[in-house]
This record gives sequence, structure tokens and C-alpha cells, in this order.
Amino acid sequence: MAPLLQLKHVVKRFGGLVATHDVSFDVEENEVVFIIGPNGAGKTTLFNLISGYLTADSGEILYRGQNLVGMKPYQTTRLGIGRTFQIVKPLPSLTVRENVMLGSFLHARSRTEATRKADEVLTFLGLEKRADHLASGLPLAQRKLLEVARALATGAKLLLLDEVMAGLNPTESAEVVSLLKRLKDFGVSAVGGVEHIMRVVMALATRVVVMDQGAKLAEGPPQTVVHDPRVVEAYLGSKFSQGGAKS
Amino acid sequence: MKLSRVLPAAIFFALLLTLPLWLRDAYLQQIVFRVVIFAILGIAWNLVGGYAGQLSLGHVAYFGIGAYSVALFHEHFGLNPWLGTLLGVVLACLAALLIGSLTFRLRGPYFVLSTIAAAEILRLLALNLSFTHGAIGMTAPSLFAEPYGDLKTYYATLPLLGVAFAAAVYTHRSRFGYYLRAIRENEDTAMAVGVNPALEKLKALLVSAVLVAAAGALYAGVFQFIGPDSVLTVDLSVQMALIAMLGGAATVWGPIIGAVVLTVAAEGLKAYLERAHLLFYGLLLVLVVLFLPGGLVSISKQRWFRRAAPRAQVT
Repeated sequence: MAPLLQLKHVVKRFGGLVATHDVSFDVEENEVVFIIGPNGAGKTTLFNLISGYLTADSGEILYRGQNLVGMKPYQTTRLGIGRTFQIVKPLPSLTVRENVMLGSFLHARSRTEATRKADEVLTFLGLEKRADHLASGLPLAQRKLLEVARALATGAKLLLLDEVMAGLNPTESAEVVSLLKRLKDFGVSAVGGVEHIMRVVMALATRVVVMDQGAKLAEGPPQTVVHDPRVVEAYLGSKFSQGGAKS
Repeated sequence: MKLSRVLPAAIFFALLLTLPLWLRDAYLQQIVFRVVIFAILGIAWNLVGGYAGQLSLGHVAYFGIGAYSVALFHEHFGLNPWLGTLLGVVLACLAALLIGSLTFRLRGPYFVLSTIAAAEILRLLALNLSFTHGAIGMTAPSLFAEPYGDLKTYYATLPLLGVAFAAAVYTHRSRFGYYLRAIRENEDTAMAVGVNPALEKLKALLVSAVLVAAAGALYAGVFQFIGPDSVLTVDLSVQMALIAMLGGAATVWGPIIGAVVLTVAAEGLKAYLERAHLLFYGLLLVLVVLFLPGGLVSISKQRWFRRAAPRAQVT
């Protein structure tokens, strides 16, 4: 079977700066792939290219064999690609449930159906007790989950999670990652972007793609990638590349 | 729970329907008529300016198109005012499609300015074209023959208020309304849940333009005399926005409360202050924006309303 998502030689330039340089990788069904790379490596650009907020200069982005390049963000959403934003922005005047309903309205025929789907997603993410609270009152970790909930509620089969761990403490990020692990039960694959190779990512990601300065540096199972001398060099400098890395 | 939602609307419309029974004074009836017209305009503006957050200050364009259509089609083609109203609504839709597709590309202050410009173009056209008789204005045919012409007109506006109210309730509760609010907060987020912002904004503007144009046509039928300075003035655009924001933007009852307060206050003050009542508008707006950003309806939410419905509490 063809991969769910395929990036083929994707290039994006901003003036003279090459933000994405000839990046290719695949995401299979039910996989949780993490894109790691330091700040400015091009993770967010990649997410914006896939979801249609930016248009690639060359290359192909195929979702179930369909080329996404040139599509508007709302079109990629309708195809089944959900995304979260690095800076979380729930609608503060709406309740948590209503925020999730924004997503579930996409395929719901009635308000009742949208509410039911929203509650289903909220229960899955453990947010059901907060359903009637105003979104503006949620702590950061739960606002991040609310972003995931809204994306899931659109019926997404592929989730793009931009810096879901940023600003979370280790316990919270462990919880988020274990939730992502369970996305399989929802029939959802995920691509997450994180800045650091954290233990939780190492333990749970099926595959890791390492980005550095817009280009793909390495790709593979997390245990293999972390020992790749090029990866160690990008993170710690050439001095450490002989020894191997831990964090 | 369902009853508490329906009851205020039922009482409100019952009062309006029985108006001639409990309010005999012709002057006061005239004020109620104005409240109804302004409530329709406020509700219509609220769809675009409140829910979708697109601060249009050019809504008078659709009002003018409605009013001028009645007068123009009567004078030049001998059409009766009802047909004129219908054609006015159709023309307002076309204008909304054109103005919307041009102005919705712009953001923030640029959008506001472009809506003013669109309405000003229409005002200048009406002022300078020969078939609109320029600044002299036009006479419009009355909608109903005497006797009781005014009362019949009043009863003709109530269904329009009913339609506007229904549109507001629908928008508040439906997917469409949620999408508009999402667009208001952040268009990127809206697109991430599958919303095409340009399309939804245009839909809101179309509904809004239909209501405003119909109100403009009724206005022409009642006052029977229209000119660029009465039905195409930017003052009226500002008033529509003011009514919705004063009462409570993006709420069902806000524009209605705003219309009552503003019309009654303006009438009351006119006797003492003449045109200085505009000063009062400004002062009122400043006070509401500073101390009640949710509008007058949010007073009830802050006190007893919250105790009745503690579900939406902040923790």
C-alpha cells in the first residue's frame, strides 16, 4: 500500500533563504513520526507546506497519492489533514466543547451530531470534565490538548502537531506523547515536531526525521538516529560526535 | 430550559404585535417604528461586524440601494413599491458580492476604510447623476393607502424583524455562526477546521445586505422622500455599528437593546440638544467600550444571569 503522506524533493525559498531544501520522507498509516531539529531547522515551514499555509516552490507533497501543492489550508483539512499551531489560539469566549465542535462541524450534519463527536474526542483526550469551561481558563497543557482535540474532531487521518511539547513539563509531555501513541486506536497517524530529542520521543516515536538548516539530516528509528554522528554534530558540535549522545 | 430561551422572544414579539392596543400616541408609535427599523439594521450589521468581526462602516450602501430602488423603479418604470423592494434586494445582493469580494481581501483599518469608500461612491453617484435628481432627492411611492397607512407599514416591518431575528438566532447556534466567530478570532485557525473564510464572510454579507436593503426600501415607503444625505450618509453606517456594539456585538439581543436605548435616548435628547445628541452617542460608545466591552447585554451576564447558568464559569 502507498504511504499516507509522501514528500518528494520539497523546496521552499523565502527570498534568498532556502527554508526547506530538497526534503523527502514518507509517513505510513498508523505511524507516529517525529521531526526533530533545532530552532529554525524548518519544522514549522514543513508543516505549513503540508497543510497549505505555504506553497512549495518545487517538489511534490502527496497525501494518499493526491498532490497537495497549491491547495488552500481548508482544502487539506477537508481531505483529512489536521494541524495544531505552535502558538495555541482557542476561541476564548467559547467553551472547551464548543471549541472542539468547530472541528466536528466539518462532517456533522447537525449540532447534536457535532456535540456528540466533540464529546467523544474530549473523552479520548481526558478533557471531558472541562467540556463546559471557557477555553480561556485552561492551563497551557490542556490548551495544547484542546488544539489536538479540535484537529481530531475534523475527522483528520493525519495530524500535524507543531511543537506540542513546547512549554510543557516532563510529566505533561509524557502524557501528551502517550496520548499520541493511542492515536492508532482512532485510526490516526501523526507527525509531530519537537526541538529536542527527549526520552519520551525516543521511547514512543516509530520513526524520527532529523532536520537541520532546512535539509533532512537523518531518518530512521529513534535509537539508530540518536547515534548518527551527523545528528550528534548538529546538536552538540563536532567535538562530541565521536562519543555518542544521551539526551 | 428551552422555555427560558423562547419566552423573551415570545413576549417581545407579542408586545410589538399588540402595540396599537397599548400605545395610542402617534408620536410614540413613530418612535417604536424607528426602533424596529434600527433593530433590523443592527441585527443585520451584527452578522458581519459582530459574529464575523468585519467592522464594516459602509452598510448604508445597501440601505441606500434598497431605498433608491423603490423610488427609481417607480419614477422611471412605473413599478409598484413592492416590486421595487424586491429589485432593491436583488441589486443589494449584487452590490454585496462586488463590494465583499473586493473589501474582504483587506484587513483591519484598511477593510474599514474600503467599506466607507464603497458607500461614499454610491452617495456621490446619487448626488451627481441626473436620474437620481442629485441633492434634491427623490419621492418614493407610499407602500399603503390611507387610512391607517402608517400602521399598515408598521405591521409590514414586523415580519422583516422576525426574519432578522430568526437569522440572528440561527447564526448564534449554527455551524455558520461558529465558523464566523472562528474567522473573527483567527482566520488561520478557521482554515485549520476546514473553513473557507472568504466564502463564509461573503455569505454573512449577503444575508446582511438583504435585510438592510429591505429595511431601506421600507424606510423609503414610509418617509416617501429620500436623498443622498438621508439614505446614503456615513452617519447611518456608524449608527448600525453603534447599535450592535452598544447592545452587545455577536449576541442575539444586543442589537435590539442597542436600538431601543439609542433611539429612545436620541429622541429624548433631541428636544434639549438638537444635533448635539451625536455627542451623546460618542460618549455612550466610549463608556461602553471602556467599562462594558461585551455591550449592555453583558450586564445581565455579570450578575444574576451567571448564577442561573454557572456552566460557563472560568476556573
